[in-house]
Amino acid sequence: MSVRTVRKTRGVVGESVRRVDGVPKVKGQFLFGSDLWAEGMLWGHTVRSPHPSARIRSIDISKALARPGVAAVLVAQDVPGKKTYGLEFADQPVLAWDRVRYAGEPVTILAAVDPETARRAASLINVDYEILPAVTDMEQALRPDAPKVHDFGNILRHIRIEHGRSAKADVWVEGYYETGMQDQAPLGPESGMAIPAEDGGVDLYVATQWLHVDREQIAPCLNLPLEKVRLHLAGVGGAFGAREDVSMQIHACMLALRTGRPVKMSYTREESFYGHVHRHPAHVWMRHGARRDGTLVYVYARLVLDGGAYASSSAAVIHNAATFAAGPYEVPNALIEATCVYTNNPPCGAMRSFGAVQAAIGYEAQMDKLAKALGMPPIQLRLKNVVSPGSVLPTGQVIRGSAPVRELIRRCAAIPLPPEEPAERRDPLSLPGGAGNVSRGERLKRGVGFAVGYKNIAYSGGFDDSAEARVRLFRGPGGAIAEVHSAAAEVGQGIHTVLVQIARTELGIEHVVLHPPDTNVGSAGSTSASRQTMMSGGAVQLACQAVKKDLFARVRRWAQAEGRTVPEPLTVEGGMVLAAGEPLAPIEEFLETPIEQTRVYHHRPTTPIDEKGQGEPHVSFGFAAERAVVEVDEELGLVRVVQIAAAQDVGRALNPQGVYGQIEGGTAQGLGFALMEEIQLKDGLIKNASFTDYLIPTILDMPPVVSELIEEPEPGVPFGAKGVGEMSTIVSTPAIVAALRSATGRELNRIPVRPDDLIGLSPPVTSPGPPPSPEVPGPEPIPKYVGLAAGQAILGGTE
Amino acid sequence: MKPAPFRYVAPRSVDETLALLAEHGAEGKILAGGQSLVPLLNMRLARPQVIVDINGIRSLAYIRRKDDHLHVGALTRQRAVEESATVRRQVPLLWEAIRFVGHPQIRTRGTVGGSLAHADPSAELPAVAAALDAELVVRSPSGERALSPGEFFAGYLTTALEPTDLLTEIRFPLLPERTGTAFVEVARRHGDFALVGVAAVVRRSDGTIAEARLAFTGVGPGPVRARGAEGRLAGSAGTSRVFADAAREAAARLDPESEIHATAQYRRDVAATLARRALELAWQRSGGRTR
Ligand SMILES: Cc1cc2nc3c(=O)[nH]c(=O)nc-3n(C[C@H](O)[C@H](O)[C@H](O)COP(=O)(O)OP(=O)(O)OC[C@H]3O[C@@H](n4cnc5c(N)ncnc54)[C@H](O)[C@@H]3O)c2cc1C
Repeated sequence: MSVRTVRKTRGVVGESVRRVDGVPKVKGQFLFGSDLWAEGMLWGHTVRSPHPSARIRSIDISKALARPGVAAVLVAQDVPGKKTYGLEFADQPVLAWDRVRYAGEPVTILAAVDPETARRAASLINVDYEILPAVTDMEQALRPDAPKVHDFGNILRHIRIEHGRSAKADVWVEGYYETGMQDQAPLGPESGMAIPAEDGGVDLYVATQWLHVDREQIAPCLNLPLEKVRLHLAGVGGAFGAREDVSMQIHACMLALRTGRPVKMSYTREESFYGHVHRHPAHVWMRHGARRDGTLVYVYARLVLDGGAYASSSAAVIHNAATFAAGPYEVPNALIEATCVYTNNPPCGAMRSFGAVQAAIGYEAQMDKLAKALGMPPIQLRLKNVVSPGSVLPTGQVIRGSAPVRELIRRCAAIPLPPEEPAERRDPLSLPGGAGNVSRGERLKRGVGFAVGYKNIAYSGGFDDSAEARVRLFRGPGGAIAEVHSAAAEVGQGIHTVLVQIARTELGIEHVVLHPPDTNVGSAGSTSASRQTMMSGGAVQLACQAVKKDLFARVRRWAQAEGRTVPEPLTVEGGMVLAAGEPLAPIEEFLETPIEQTRVYHHRPTTPIDEKGQGEPHVSFGFAAERAVVEVDEELGLVRVVQIAAAQDVGRALNPQGVYGQIEGGTAQGLGFALMEEIQLKDGLIKNASFTDYLIPTILDMPPVVSELIEEPEPGVPFGAKGVGEMSTIVSTPAIVAALRSATGRELNRIPVRPDDLIGLSPPVTSPGPPPSPEVPGPEPIPKYVGLAAGQAILGGTE
Repeated sequence: MKPAPFRYVAPRSVDETLALLAEHGAEGKILAGGQSLVPLLNMRLARPQVIVDINGIRSLAYIRRKDDHLHVGALTRQRAVEESATVRRQVPLLWEAIRFVGHPQIRTRGTVGGSLAHADPSAELPAVAAALDAELVVRSPSGERALSPGEFFAGYLTTALEPTDLLTEIRFPLLPERTGTAFVEVARRHGDFALVGVAAVVRRSDGTIAEARLAFTGVGPGPVRARGAEGRLAGSAGTSRVFADAAREAAARLDPESEIHATAQYRRDVAATLARRALELAWQRSGGRTR
């Protein structure tokens, strides 16, 4: 056997490796879901309800069907199997049959030879609606006389967390906060293509976050066994939670199976706003009590979230809002009550840091109020109360992993503030409203705000979270090659690059390729909850270790056959097998036949919370802190965020550049929520379903983000790496709003903050007080009590 | 979306254009930079039978000084205006305002004539034309006429242009000595249409305001001149107080609408601030000191 010199494997864990999909994306060669194309394909189209609440009297599809070029028009009766679907509860009709519960609900679908024919045929479909009263206000939905969105009522889930007892405090502060409906605004619209297969099944290429959970929902509706519904990941143009729910998937499959032809569906921008869930609007009431020295003694939090017409992931969202309502602070006594209601608004579901975002906007404003009441610097108050390993949370859960929150705060606060240059010497673009030449710096107020926040990593509440991966090591022309097969959806966050880095690290080779993600391998779980690096990363690591074990067994067998003794331990590096650190032989020499192993990674089990909200609901936590510096033009209400200083608890940065990217992107999304992003609803109708009217920040709205990574490895997880995708979104909004409050002295208790609010044209929002707690059978989601569970338990790992 | 089917013609001269326009009447539509028309076509808010593409008529793109006016051909790209040292020197108000029109990509295609003919209620150039009392030169089969902004802008997305008319040139009067101008606007993001914009022109005679003009965009169906406030300013001393009062008076007379991006109240409120800032800036640029 030839012996080569060993050099370190490049592109491993810990390096800022170039993204595997970076070059094709930058060059415009990457194919997104909307680029799918097949010979002879048809275009699918959805007809949606224009009313937030109505009964369907009749549907006349005859004119549309008669139109040349139209291949099929389908209604609810055409759904081959189960008529409803849902991520957690099957409460959403594939196509509405008797009632529509939100404006935008799909009623009929059709397929035609081109999009224009489809659009025209759609306008020929006549749906006769009897308009019913709608409930579009979350607090109204709680009243006994409110119209019922579902037969079983308007409560989706109510959670009560009782911790400690009532307490005496020296200082009390109270607050009421409202947050608007944010949209994930992924640049790629919902898109996919279904291709009917000869075995009566279907292949669906789709831009999604979780192939297997889509399949779980699609197959029963098509009345097909799971194995006949094969999903393949199409290029995903951003997700942020918006692709966690099924959108066009079942519709495209139905049309393809009916017509026997490939059917593509790709939403227009306007339709996309109706075609995915949004961030829950929230009403939040809080009361905080502390001792004179700043020690928190009591937190009361009441949250109401608007879940819209269907459950989506609301049960998990309200769970997070409730369990994180007290923030990353030690508080001996707390009462937290959180209700998610059904309304006739568009459904809300997953969006980056769900629940934790709404809670943080409340608790961080409260911490600032408390600091003011105590005459204490806000950072000092936080340092005094933040959690650390061993801290007990309001659920009774003890923080077992790493929680370097004090260091996080100190490192964030230590980042130098931007210099205050005289306005006249600055580039006008760097001033508030600089885009409009309005300011030479007059009436400019600077403000600084700080926020700390946290959330769970991976799934919570007793869900058996798991991910599978298959790794195949084989001999290629230039040496050993590893192929990683994982169903983990790359949604732009960089998981594919991280999986490749992990395989390189474990197998000591640089040539790692990815098998396209599909359902021919087990579930990876969703690309959400900041979990893929931990879960699919863990699965790839386990599979690689199993492959390596086989490899070493082959080495030892070979040595035995040769009558040689090879010194242990065996390791791999730079494409070589090493024996006691000395190069033995290139890996490929042991790959006469490939080695393949499949492994499933589970995280430590969690438990659901009980009637008093007690349990061990979360497995691991990620913390973040941000400081925002803003400038406000006091007369015009225009804002410039001057700088964001960020510190994040990342466990270990597997790809530092990727981590910085996530911090910056999450910060931008939080900045958008603080200043401009809101779906404007009027009587259940979206008023700004376009990128002309739904504003998202551009690069010119973004300040420099100066980031610090706190690397304190999380015990018991692969490489000690924590998920990093969401935490900056939690803190950037409250940090910016705190800075706006400090600049203007105004209360600003509604997010997003509008120019009107900053110049006092509209007063702070007020509330007569929190609504009474609803009567519910227990802490579980109501759809569960009424038997609507979607039966996705097998995704938990038994598959 | 894609536009409804249309016929496409590309005339090579003004006369040919006029003939085509006359032939197709209300069914024809001029295509200049396409930055407003193409979105309308794609969204099928406009469905002309015939598109008359004037981009090939080079003679309609120029920036030329003639006597005491700057003549700008209707097909001159907004980017060319922005990059023109002549415009910057001779009609600084136009130069300052044009940079707020969308983004560089848009200005590279968009034309001066197209913006004026489109007459978006939030557009910058109509306010500039109004503040400068520009002349808008229109050719039709029956000849040529020059319209004042008051005659040209007829309401929301509406002008005095007939389907058979071609806007050929805009004549900006050069301003006398000791005149300062300023254009300021409020937009939520860089490149967005203005929520409110103000063009101000101030001519100074020592410490007094000899003449002032103020035109708003974004607060009415078209550009709005504040004649009352202008009258008040003329002959007054150039003090902060005077500018603030005039700005407030001008804003009080506005009747803006509420829509998704701004409430009527916000528009009126910031219109006063913007008008004051624009007047003060114009005054400073005329060489005056604010007291
Ligand atoms: C993203 C975006 C942002 C924008 N932001 C702004 C902004 O902030 N401010 C702003 O003012 N504008 C903005 N615009 C519009 C832009 O300025 C357009 O360029 C302008 O409104 C139209 O000019 P055009 O040359 O593209 O005309 P076209 O789109 O080709 O035509 C517009 C209309 O004018 C007519 N027309 C054109 N030329 C003539 C002529 N010579 N005679 C008679 N009729 C004619 C056409 O028939 C048509 O009805 C924006 C556009 C986009 C796409």
